[in-house]
Amino acid sequence: MARDKIYLEEVFPSPFIQLWLIFRKTPVAMLGFSCFLFLIVLAIFGPFLAPHSPVEGQLDMLLLPPAWHIDGNVTYLLGTDELGRDMLSRLMYGTSLTFGLSFIVVIISLIIGVVIGSLSALTTGLKSSFLNHFLDVILSIPSLLLAIIIVAILGPGIDNTVWAVVLVLIPQFIHTTRYAVKEEFRKDYVLASRLDGASPFRVLYYSIFPNITDRIMGQATLAQSAAILDIATLGFLGLGAQIPLPEWGATLANGLDLFYIAPWTVYLPGLAILFAVVATNLVGEGIRHALKLRKER
Amino acid sequence: MLIFTLRRLSLFFFTMLLLTLLSFSLNFLFPGETIINLTGAINATPSQLVEINEAYQTHRNIFWQYITYLKHIASGDLGLSMASQSSISTEIVNLLPATIELSLVALYIAMLVGIPLGFIAAIKHSKFTDNLILSVSMLGYSIPVFWLGLLAILTFSISLGWLPSAGQISLLFEIKPVTGIQFIDILLSDSPYKWQAFSDATAHIILPACVIAVAPTTIFIRLARTSMIEVLETSYIRAASAKGLTFRQIIFRHAIRNSLIKIIRHVGLQFANLITIAMVTEVIFSWPGIGRWLIESIYQRDYTAIESGLLVLSCFIFVVHILTDFIYAALNPLARGNKYGAR
Amino acid sequence: MNNLKLITLLLFCFLLSACNEEGKLSLSERSVIYCAEGSPETFNPQLVTSGTTIDATSNQLYDRLITYRGDDNILSPAIAKSWHVTRDGKKVTFYLRKDITFHQTDYFTPTRPLNADDVIFSFERILNFAHPYHLVSGGNYPFFQDVGLNDLIYDIEKINEHTVRFHLAQADNSFLANLATDFAIILSAEYAEQLTKLKKQSDIDTHPIGTGPFKLKEYRVGSLIRFYRHPQYWQEPAKIDQLVFDITPSNTGRLTKLLAKECDVVAYPIAHEKIVQHEDLSLEAVTALNVGYFGFNINKAPFDNKLVRQAISYAINKETLLETVYQGKAEMADTLIPKTSWAFDNNITKQEFNPELAKSLLNFAGYSDGFTMDLWAMPIQRPYNPNAITMAKLIQSDLKKINIKVNIISYEWSTFLQRLKQGEHQAFLLGWSADHPDPDNFFTPILSCSAAKTGSNTTFWCDREYDDTIKKALHTTNIKQRKKYYAQAMAILAEEVPVIPIAHSKRYQARGENVVGDILAPFGGINFYQVSKKSLYLEREERTNNRQSTKNNSNTGVN
Repeated sequence: MARDKIYLEEVFPSPFIQLWLIFRKTPVAMLGFSCFLFLIVLAIFGPFLAPHSPVEGQLDMLLLPPAWHIDGNVTYLLGTDELGRDMLSRLMYGTSLTFGLSFIVVIISLIIGVVIGSLSALTTGLKSSFLNHFLDVILSIPSLLLAIIIVAILGPGIDNTVWAVVLVLIPQFIHTTRYAVKEEFRKDYVLASRLDGASPFRVLYYSIFPNITDRIMGQATLAQSAAILDIATLGFLGLGAQIPLPEWGATLANGLDLFYIAPWTVYLPGLAILFAVVATNLVGEGIRHALKLRKER
Repeated sequence: MLIFTLRRLSLFFFTMLLLTLLSFSLNFLFPGETIINLTGAINATPSQLVEINEAYQTHRNIFWQYITYLKHIASGDLGLSMASQSSISTEIVNLLPATIELSLVALYIAMLVGIPLGFIAAIKHSKFTDNLILSVSMLGYSIPVFWLGLLAILTFSISLGWLPSAGQISLLFEIKPVTGIQFIDILLSDSPYKWQAFSDATAHIILPACVIAVAPTTIFIRLARTSMIEVLETSYIRAASAKGLTFRQIIFRHAIRNSLIKIIRHVGLQFANLITIAMVTEVIFSWPGIGRWLIESIYQRDYTAIESGLLVLSCFIFVVHILTDFIYAALNPLARGNKYGAR
Repeated sequence: MNNLKLITLLLFCFLLSACNEEGKLSLSERSVIYCAEGSPETFNPQLVTSGTTIDATSNQLYDRLITYRGDDNILSPAIAKSWHVTRDGKKVTFYLRKDITFHQTDYFTPTRPLNADDVIFSFERILNFAHPYHLVSGGNYPFFQDVGLNDLIYDIEKINEHTVRFHLAQADNSFLANLATDFAIILSAEYAEQLTKLKKQSDIDTHPIGTGPFKLKEYRVGSLIRFYRHPQYWQEPAKIDQLVFDITPSNTGRLTKLLAKECDVVAYPIAHEKIVQHEDLSLEAVTALNVGYFGFNINKAPFDNKLVRQAISYAINKETLLETVYQGKAEMADTLIPKTSWAFDNNITKQEFNPELAKSLLNFAGYSDGFTMDLWAMPIQRPYNPNAITMAKLIQSDLKKINIKVNIISYEWSTFLQRLKQGEHQAFLLGWSADHPDPDNFFTPILSCSAAKTGSNTTFWCDREYDDTIKKALHTTNIKQRKKYYAQAMAILAEEVPVIPIAHSKRYQARGENVVGDILAPFGGINFYQVSKKSLYLEREERTNNRQSTKNNSNTGVN
């Protein structure tokens, strides 16, 4: 049912919607995006859908190969490990740990980073210079190393890993936000609204934020793929998720002893990590590609 | 250049201050007694403890404690490892070169493979080759390095039997560590099996170095590609092609040089990244480097080792970072005016 | 640019070294690499009971006065060419060989062969609290203190340069057996003197000098131990020039190195079926006298309560542990000693799996809601427990059924042992490999009061009645009477449950087919003295020879 328009009005989609319109047209990015959505759904509902318990093993079903193997069993689609735990269920639970946690981690650090970043963009002088130096130091240390340092201080464990990765990602968001905000501040439309008498915070909220969301989104996907890899690596090194937890990296480390007799216990978690990171990176690529196209218009 | 140098030096001192302050405060954050975390003297008798307390001036206020701590670091005293009770500075001096060696080889491989590929992708911009290189490179930086390492061992060491899976050199060869860099040590040694040892050491480094190189290679591909595309769009290239230079001449004479400069900037940052990847890879390939040692110290809750290891490692990364900045500035006069923080 | 220089240098070296290659057996044919599971804590076996240290030191670096030899484990001469025990069993005289030389290394050159002073020094160090070397390296000699050797020996007398007499407080059945263990090694008194002069006393345990078939060349903590052959060994020198211990704690790492031919011999291999599949690898096993057990720290609540300990012993399903962890290749343990031991009592009460009984015992003890406990699991493979972490996981799920929540804790091996000794744990998975066939070697070191004091009894359980019983057993010569005493001791254990014995297992080892000679010693240790390598060239020749004549499988020595 068409609605009558009283005023003739040209609709300008917001930058974010513009981005989405371009993004939609790249099939590869959409593929990545649907995988990403699939992982999110799995992270939320995985524990309810999993056919078996990820921690309790079936002791008469030790080291079953995946179902397509001659010795496989259809009830254990991806086989079992040395304690008879179903690999499929472990991977499904692992989705909420590795992927789900990394998603939460990114959101927390995004919020903190954007707040600090935009506030710091408003400062000048000594404070700003100090922050610059500080960010330079922190950003020159790779995220994984920093995460290892923080876990070393806090002690191994999944909760400490989460905090470590949050802390590690914050400076990146601060940097991106600060840079983007400063860039926007130089533009004419901001000057216009400042001349109108808007306070810096009003400018920030109404004028700048809508224009930098896309860039922060791009940073967020980068952060997400780093977070997945960091959580998994820490898990693999035994510094992250502890023994019975089916975190992907930890599952892989657990399978190491079985590498030669039950290789699927190593292949499958590795593939899961690869899949999650590739999906995230495809989305990120798509966003960056769309950003570039939008700028060129 | 002078101002640039001063600015970098101030940054350097600021960072060192921050890093030492951090590692000093770690002693308070770790569980257990501060002085023991600081020195690692877990088996000290009461009289030794008094001596240690005296040496670290624990009766004075925190500022003086920090100053004494700095003095100890400056004299190369990083305390004892809680686990092995041996001096940490000697352990680090033994282990760090192995990591540097591995990372340098990996960096070399990454640049040698990544930069040309990136250039090719840029020249074939938006064509099939470009897309192919980009998708392969995305796969490259998405793959978890520990998994890649395992697959590499399974394929090249076990199935094909081409390359060894662990260590720096076959243990049969007795090479005295002088510099810690295996290749130099082999050349310095008077072993009758020098050449065998050398080829053995080469075989040992290939697999871990390639595994480490995968992620930085993809980054170099992207860097090289973007910088080449940028250069190709500049007016001097257009002028050159208007003059009638062939495409080959433009690329080899003008474009490559100018785009390489932009890449060198990032080598320092990449080196830091590389060292982190090397830490994980060292665990898988049992490479006797500082990364494996540090991770083992974390397992053993050897706080003195963790604290000193981190300090040394981050200082090292930062020094490399600043050095590449200098090289970049020396090569590219435009960069000297840039302020820090801007990238 | 640098690379170019390197390459030229490299070529140069190649040309230089290529000349002196020919006509020699290759380095790898004269050396053996052994992938060990952990680093030794020290190089003096007197100071420890850990099997890893014993493996790396005892048989390689040292000799004992007497030793076990042959399949029947008969006491036979070593440093002592003969010995004599008086009728009352209180005086034991050893007559030493005169041709035994100590190692010559970078840090020590012996001037005289072994004599009575060395023997006296080695034992005085342990027994005499005032001895200048007693307190070097901590003054703990767990094995000797556990078996009560310091109470037993009251004097060691030097009769002449090559004769030593031990005066015992009473007759003791296990005395000679204890002297033949891997712990009772002979050190050099001359080396000790030199170290005293240099004020580097602690070097005696870190830079070892012994009389064994190999001498220490190099040790890098956590990475390798390099031994060279001792050319003046009093028996035929060892067949290989070089023996390298490649320290590889990761199970998969060791298997990978074996499959990739980077190790010749591998300790405690995993994935046996994979090794058997390979034609050029072989898997061997030796029935070791050992026991893997679950222990409680009696000093920590709630394990000070006997009922709780009993409850847990009923709640653990040993069948699945044997099935999963030992892959069905071990024997279930009902008590500390294996069924093959003469002291085993068939009437022993077996701990059966009964979670219902366990629950009611817990209720009775006042823990009806269960509790949370820490279970310490060994990080490395031992013969008595190939995978403690997996075992801990299984126990975790067993105990969850009786409402006990288990946290699994593990440290690097030497840290693990150290912390256990200090009693930081609540419960632990550990085991014991016997050093000699006497049953006392199980009862005393694991659970006696004296062992609780030295920290090798990590349960810290100290029961007067049990202690008296095993002491009585030791001083009786009548086998029937001894058996009765041990039956009593086992009954006490079944009631008190300071430990839950789980399994008696075999010790496994894998090696490449080209490594020849026995390595596994009957009592848990390893010995590389007899080992040699078939050279590829000789092997080829042998194969052609074999086609014509009957198979002659002698050691193709490489000297």
